[in-house]
Amino acid sequence: MKKKAGPLFYIFLVVFVFFIMFPFLWMLISSVKPLTELFGDKAFTPYTSDPTLKSYISVFVDYPFLRYLWNSAVVSTITTVYTVLVASFAAYAIARLNFRGKTVILGLVLSVTMFPQIATISPIYIFLKNLGLTNSYLGLIIPYTTFTLPLSIWLLVTFFRKIPSDLEEAAKIDGATLMQTYWKVIMPLAVPGMFTTAILVFIAAWNEFLFALTINTEEKYKTVPIGIAMFQGQFTIPWGEIAAATVVVTVPLVIMVLVFQRRIVSGLTSGSVKE
Amino acid sequence: MKNGGINGQNDLEVSKKNPQLSKLKKEPKQKKAFSESKAGYLLIAPAMILIFLVAVWPVLQSFYFSLFDLRLNNPTKSEVHLSYNVDLERYLNNYPFLVSAIDNEVREGNAAKELENVKTQLKTIDEKLQKDADVKTKYSAVNDKLMNFEQPGADIRMVEVERDIAEDYLKTTDSVLASLKKVTKETKLSQEDKVIGLAAGLKDSIIKPNFIGLKHYKDNLSETRMWKALGNTMTFTVISVAVELILGLAIALLINKAFFGRGLIRASILIPWAIPTAVSALMWKFLYDGQNGIIAKIFEDVGLVDKMSNLLVTDTGAMFAVIFTDVWKTTPYMSLLILAGLQTIPSSLYEASAIDGAGKWKQFTTITLPLLKSSILVALLFRTLDAFRVFDLIYVLTGGGPANSTETISILAYKVMFSQTNFGEGSALAVIVFLCVAIISMLYIKFLGKDLLNDGRGN
Repeated sequence: MKKKAGPLFYIFLVVFVFFIMFPFLWMLISSVKPLTELFGDKAFTPYTSDPTLKSYISVFVDYPFLRYLWNSAVVSTITTVYTVLVASFAAYAIARLNFRGKTVILGLVLSVTMFPQIATISPIYIFLKNLGLTNSYLGLIIPYTTFTLPLSIWLLVTFFRKIPSDLEEAAKIDGATLMQTYWKVIMPLAVPGMFTTAILVFIAAWNEFLFALTINTEEKYKTVPIGIAMFQGQFTIPWGEIAAATVVVTVPLVIMVLVFQRRIVSGLTSGSVKE
Repeated sequence: MKNGGINGQNDLEVSKKNPQLSKLKKEPKQKKAFSESKAGYLLIAPAMILIFLVAVWPVLQSFYFSLFDLRLNNPTKSEVHLSYNVDLERYLNNYPFLVSAIDNEVREGNAAKELENVKTQLKTIDEKLQKDADVKTKYSAVNDKLMNFEQPGADIRMVEVERDIAEDYLKTTDSVLASLKKVTKETKLSQEDKVIGLAAGLKDSIIKPNFIGLKHYKDNLSETRMWKALGNTMTFTVISVAVELILGLAIALLINKAFFGRGLIRASILIPWAIPTAVSALMWKFLYDGQNGIIAKIFEDVGLVDKMSNLLVTDTGAMFAVIFTDVWKTTPYMSLLILAGLQTIPSSLYEASAIDGAGKWKQFTTITLPLLKSSILVALLFRTLDAFRVFDLIYVLTGGGPANSTETISILAYKVMFSQTNFGEGSALAVIVFLCVAIISMLYIKFLGKDLLNDGRGN
């Protein structure tokens, strides 16, 4: 069905992209509008004659937004590095080694990815509270394992299976031990797959909401999603600042997506498409 | 399996030529297989232990918690107690002082007879408590700590007591409190409030078991709020997933061709998916705003809502807004998954059917849909579960309002747990979510068959 695209098709594409991007564009416009133009008649004009960076300055000066960004970065990075490492061993074993109960284990991993977070939160909360780990980085890294580890195993298994087994066999014949084969033969080939997995796991950890909301309630340890969501005050909502903060978190994301789009797509679709 | 097969074949060839050699070869091979499975278990062990500790165990514990009247803000119910316990710290902060206060009153000649009687009752129950060896050791340990003005540790503070002793204790403390109240009515004591306060404190030193069985489930299942939340969750899930599937399929079919700027399209598809849901929910809250929201105004202009300020304050308006946002955020993702499935269909199939004179629609129903079945089902499975578990979108956009009209079961469970600090009932709701999710996945997996887990190598 590879057909050439006509001009109508491109018009459709433009409309489609516009629909998807419209909210972001509107946030971008709103973020540079002066406060008075966010309300009343001027709220609906798609431009401003008097652009200002006041909202951006306020986000960083009046709110601990940098702190939120830092917290999110620390938690997501540590979670990603350690889960992908632990998962890579398990995924290698499941994809490559013969032992009993593999299918059952993979089934368990898949079913854990389907666990609703709310069903694990009360014991995890009480556990972390008793250990004094609420309001700490570890307090988020531990519960984030619930969804990042099964996700990583699931993705990595598909990637490992795609690596041709000839090389491994050659290494075995040459007398390499299992660990040598893993580190010297498999790992270099698996790096792209692991990188893709890491991107997806990082995004999942960066976006997590429920655990972050309940476990780290102190301002000092809030992550970006919670921080932005809590911008809403009791009586007024600072829309200018919210718009600016949204732009601040979206821009790096857009860059990342543009750079890594192929990888992300291959990761997203690898578990679901049979080739 | 593949390498096993190859080796097996080699062995077979070798054994044909030289039976002795094959015997020699077999032994190390078996050893290797053994060490391979051992290595396999070793490699998966850390991940499995972690998954068990952070995911499986908490779910089991949630179920366990749901059988108790567990409330974090109530010190006598903040932990699960299967049996009667005595809070020794509390007991020893009341009992000796009550006895000496009574002695004081007796010395001053206030209602001596009744008070002596009360004192005997107290002494008897104290002796009864200390009969148990475990109680006795912890009793004196706590007493020592309190004497030195130290905080007794959690391990010695609470002690389990037998049911009949506990009932005896409750009976005694009840009667002590009653007789003391009677005494204070008839005669004036010098330290009336202190005596009554200490007696009441003594009564509260016993912690009743808070095991209540399936009561939370019974209560929840007869509560309209739970059913409404479940209904809202269903409405949200069914409508949003159905719309996402149809739109996603249409978009995937449309963009499944070679065109200029594919990368750009792919990137713009990924952005709504990649942005934190909480951030996109807040963004849409701004766009839906009753006074200044541009989308709300557009909806009013095209007649979707009669007044833009009604969008987030009416039941249907709010549900529509929530679903619309979810559709915006996940349709692109859905179309991406379906597109990946489409690209695995060989174009030769279409060419052959075109030669046979099949029309576009016929091709769609006889080639595209059947071959897409498994990708669509997988996409649907993940989307349905995500939609059923929805939390952050609704929490930020509407908070479950107006009047609980967008409150989903996860939101309700969260509110019961963290706003009402009723962890027992909240856990019961969480278990209900878990069971629903399990049922949904089982239904899908029945349709999908073993496709999902099969690794294509016959293992």
